[in-house]
Amino acid sequence: MYKFLLCFKYLRTRYLAFVCIVSVMLGVATLIVVNSVMSGFSYKLQNRLHGILSDVMIETDRADGLPGPPDAIVARVLASPVGKYVEATSPTVEVMALLQFQVRSRLTGERFSITKHVRMIGVEPARHAKVGKFLEYLQRQKDGGEASFALTPDALGRFDFNRDFGGWEPRDANAATKLLDFPTVRIPQVPPVDAPPGMFLPALAVPDRASSPPPLVPAAGPPRVPGVFIGHAIAHHTWKDPVTGVSETINLLREGDEVFLATVGATGVKPVASTFAVADYFRCEMSEYDNTFAYVALGELQSMRGMGNRVNTVQIKLIPSAAGDHELVHKTIIPELQKLFGREEAINVVSWQQHQGALLEAIDIERGILNLLLFMIVGVSGFSILAIFTMIVSEKYRDIGVLKSLGASSRGVMSIFVSYGLMLGVVGCGLGTLLGLGITVYINEIEGFLTLVTKQQIFDRGVYYFDKIPTNIETTTVVLVNVGALSTSVLFSVLPAFRAARLHPVNALRFE
Amino acid sequence: MLAATNLRKTYRRNADQVKVLQGLSLDVHAGEFLSVVGASGSGKSTLLHLLGTLDVPDEGTITLNGRRIDNVSSRERDELRNTVFGYIFQFYHLLPEFNTLDNVLMPAYISNSLVKWFATRREWRKRAEAMLERVGLSHRLTHRPRELSGGEMQRAAVARALLCRPQILMADEPTGNLDAEIGADIVRLLRELNRDDGITIVMVTHNLDIAATTDRVLRMTHGKLNTDAPAAFTRPKLAAV
Ligand SMILES: Nc1ncnc2c1ncn2[C@@H]1O[C@H](COP(=O)(O)OP(=O)(O)OP(=O)(O)O)[C@@H](O)[C@H]1O
Ligand SMILES: [Mg+2]
Repeated sequence: MYKFLLCFKYLRTRYLAFVCIVSVMLGVATLIVVNSVMSGFSYKLQNRLHGILSDVMIETDRADGLPGPPDAIVARVLASPVGKYVEATSPTVEVMALLQFQVRSRLTGERFSITKHVRMIGVEPARHAKVGKFLEYLQRQKDGGEASFALTPDALGRFDFNRDFGGWEPRDANAATKLLDFPTVRIPQVPPVDAPPGMFLPALAVPDRASSPPPLVPAAGPPRVPGVFIGHAIAHHTWKDPVTGVSETINLLREGDEVFLATVGATGVKPVASTFAVADYFRCEMSEYDNTFAYVALGELQSMRGMGNRVNTVQIKLIPSAAGDHELVHKTIIPELQKLFGREEAINVVSWQQHQGALLEAIDIERGILNLLLFMIVGVSGFSILAIFTMIVSEKYRDIGVLKSLGASSRGVMSIFVSYGLMLGVVGCGLGTLLGLGITVYINEIEGFLTLVTKQQIFDRGVYYFDKIPTNIETTTVVLVNVGALSTSVLFSVLPAFRAARLHPVNALRFE
Repeated sequence: MLAATNLRKTYRRNADQVKVLQGLSLDVHAGEFLSVVGASGSGKSTLLHLLGTLDVPDEGTITLNGRRIDNVSSRERDELRNTVFGYIFQFYHLLPEFNTLDNVLMPAYISNSLVKWFATRREWRKRAEAMLERVGLSHRLTHRPRELSGGEMQRAAVARALLCRPQILMADEPTGNLDAEIGADIVRLLRELNRDDGITIVMVTHNLDIAATTDRVLRMTHGKLNTDAPAAFTRPKLAAV
């Protein structure tokens, strides 16, 4: 009984103890926040990486793709022992390509081209949507129906309107006169004085079809317009004014705008190129992918590259029970598929984790090291407990002697200080957990506030893959952090407690 | 009742040896009020600590009602200090964080587990209040030690020592820090307890006048005891106190 009593008394009357509580609290809070953010980061990254990749891929580096038609490959997979795990498949062609499109300077009215390297991916959109989150990432189509490369009437109108000017060069000459017919899209010839230099306008703005007459020269029949889903970041340029610091996002490519894609053919190093119209934006919020992806129809890319009906990747989505079973995927399904196709044909079977292995591993390693370093904060709080307890024991030297003269046992005296440490740990951990969870939940608001106060962007959206700081609170991590901090508090209080217990009452009682 | 035979206690600090007790023997009779006098450093406190199981002798035995208590387990010794012996000290040694009542209840806090405490706390509280009433402190229950005078603190210490109804009270210079009048009050209180409750008291003191009021006075020299004055000599003085 007296143990609890003294414990509480010392907790309430020793303000120094709050130093221990605060240091435990800060350690716990930091560990929780850092782990939640790192885990959120890795969780979200994995989620997105998985979003653009199916569970398992059969892929080849051969320029002419996997041998045989994709249907035959899929049939072989389905007939194999792992066929029962397959939920959906999507044949794709993935190649590096050059993308070019025209823009016009808002300042000078001058036209020029922008060239980017992209990852050009040929897919059957409706089928591809079934193996990953492809559809969710399409900005216009994500909410409805099947993914398709067909242009909306508005986009088609814009495409037709652009086409009416007759290709790249003559269009330039015509632009000024034609534009007059569409008052809503008039581009000022004199640049606005406040327009900062270096900002771009789309080559041509979209006509307002509701309030404007149809194109003057209607196209003869619907033109063949292959669509492209272009990475959102390719079509949008963020420009930051170096003076005011205000950043502005400028839309460089609208739906219906023409882009030019060039790559190499399936045989030899033969350049091939084709024109596409923007049908939708692809945005998975991973700046790397949003900056480099260009999806086109599978047939388009196949015929462009002259690879018949061959593909270079077959993406396979597994049934959920199998997909979540890391063991099954890596120990059974992948070796089984690899056996099916053999190695001699330069075919690789990989899981999405293996595909992105380096990145995911880097995050895990980083997290481990960070945890190790941050646990030193808890270590520091352990030492502050040690120091402060040693002081309290010295200060309470006489009282301990008195307690012993009244019949308190050495073990009892020891447990006063150990449970005192435990109590500081519990209070510190409790407050720390609350603080940590609070910071984690409101981390974006806090970051916003700090950015406002310091005028320094703390979480640079351009550098990271995310537009918000991702967090993921893992119960096990929170529990582990608490257990760690608690045992540290107890461990470091054992030494002073032991000293108190060993104390000979007679020496303590002799003096005032 | 409490008997010590041939006690030896030597303190060692490196090469130096302080031979405090050198073959001391003592018999404390049940119900007597015994005082021990002697020069400072003669080992009076050491003797009290040994008798009351706060410390162990190097040699010799101590028996309580015929049972040896100098070599029992530390658990038993803790229990003896809690229930059989009561201590009061020159410097009161109250715990500064607790009020008078809690200080007096401390032995009960120590002997009871949490559950048992909550089952019996009313009884203990009543007993503590009765003890404080007895020592004349019932108006000071919620005061902290630093808000009490020396005499009041010593009264609280007496109440604390008596809470568990000990058989023997060890008083180490209980009046050493008090003026003559208050000191006499405390000794009068001890005498009352001795007479009315039959508590055996072993008191160490420097004050020969006070010692003279007790039943038996032992003088400590060279680590041994010798009877200082016959009981008959001290008796008449009692009336005067
Ligand atoms: N832990 C110790 N180490 C060394 N010497 C000690 C120790 N404790 C006591 N002594 C010595 O033992 C002797 C007896 O001490 P003790 O306190 O019993 O004397 P005392 O008779 O009570 O004196 P006082 O009247 O001043 O209280 C003293 O000389 C003291 O210096
Ligand atoms: Mg002494």
